[in-house]
Amino acid sequence: MIRIPLYLAVAQWALLGALGVLVIVMFRQLGRLMIKPAEPGELGPRQGSRAAALSYLHPGQEAVHQLRPGDGQPLLLAFVDPTCPSCEELVAVLDAMQAAGELAGVRALLLISDPPSYLSISETFTATRIEIGRPASRDGLDYYRASATPLLVAIDGGGVVRAAGSVIAKTEVRAFASACLLPPPDAELSVVAASGGGAGRVGPSAGHAGTDLTGGGETAG
Amino acid sequence: MTVQTLALCCKAFLAVLLLAAGGAKLADLPGFAATVRLFAPRALGSRLPAAIAAGIAIGELALGAASLTSPQAGWLNVAVFAAGCGFAIVSVVGYVRHPGTPCRCFGALSRRAFSPAGIGRSMAVAACAAVAAWPAGQALAVVGAAGRLGLLAGGTLVAGGAYSAAAALGAGRDPLAGRA
Repeated sequence: MIRIPLYLAVAQWALLGALGVLVIVMFRQLGRLMIKPAEPGELGPRQGSRAAALSYLHPGQEAVHQLRPGDGQPLLLAFVDPTCPSCEELVAVLDAMQAAGELAGVRALLLISDPPSYLSISETFTATRIEIGRPASRDGLDYYRASATPLLVAIDGGGVVRAAGSVIAKTEVRAFASACLLPPPDAELSVVAASGGGAGRVGPSAGHAGTDLTGGGETAG
Repeated sequence: MTVQTLALCCKAFLAVLLLAAGGAKLADLPGFAATVRLFAPRALGSRLPAAIAAGIAIGELALGAASLTSPQAGWLNVAVFAAGCGFAIVSVVGYVRHPGTPCRCFGALSRRAFSPAGIGRSMAVAACAAVAAWPAGQALAVVGAAGRLGLLAGGTLVAGGAYSAAAALGAGRDPLAGRA
């Protein structure tokens, strides 16, 4: 009769248990992936809708500032956090584009939810010349459905959301910047933009963002 | 269950835990580096925290593999206990300084944050490591060369599985939420 050493028996059960846990984790993830297409996107505001106003603070300051989309200036609003590596990529891209003059005429604003002291842990956030703010209240914040970061929202001068999604690649960010420079739409055009079919310049980036929306809800920032 | 058997159970559990944690961290090094940066002075820049993150992940893998396959090496139990104490300290400091921030202890496999529950879990790990370091357990920890090879293969499977699972989870989540 073969006698298995006690430690070997114990260790193999531990290994088996760990593998079992990993299998369960993967099947749960598989289940989420299979359910996702049926779920509506929950990340970012709807295209074609009118952007909500926000109040925010500059880190380390107490003065409350108001963000009022629709004041005539196109806006790139980025929901990012210094503890998020993908957010750092987005901020670096925005910073480079601003330095290269590609964001001329567009106001860029980074909104963080992490404590202001966290800015110091990220070189990218420390070095950026883009305005950084932190929401001062929840008023208007729910509209943006920033359930995950990074989230970039392109708002035109009329205050209409032209594109929204989780993007970090320069080409995508450039498409967002172009989208918010479109002239303010009249009522008919805004319907076309919301359907996603008629806005050729916005379509590709918006389509990508739409794909990304599917998993937004599961990763709370 | 005798104390010796309990010590062996704790030892095997911790070794497998280290392998899974190391493998999962390795799959999401940028994310774990962000956690390391929470504790590192800003003067260190971003490269050193990334190197520290990689070092911790590889160290966990090495310690887990060594502890699993060399059960009679008593100094490894002490090293695992030291690591367990280190985790407990980090979880306490993390909760005090950065409550609610993801700890990424298991890379993308877990979204748990620095919290009282996290402190409790890390304390339990440290206690488990203390039990595993019980010297009486080593008398029963005799494994031949074939057994050690088998354990190494099993440990590699767990680490590889954790790496793949964390990479798959990270791929599905990262563009959306790098801080997940």
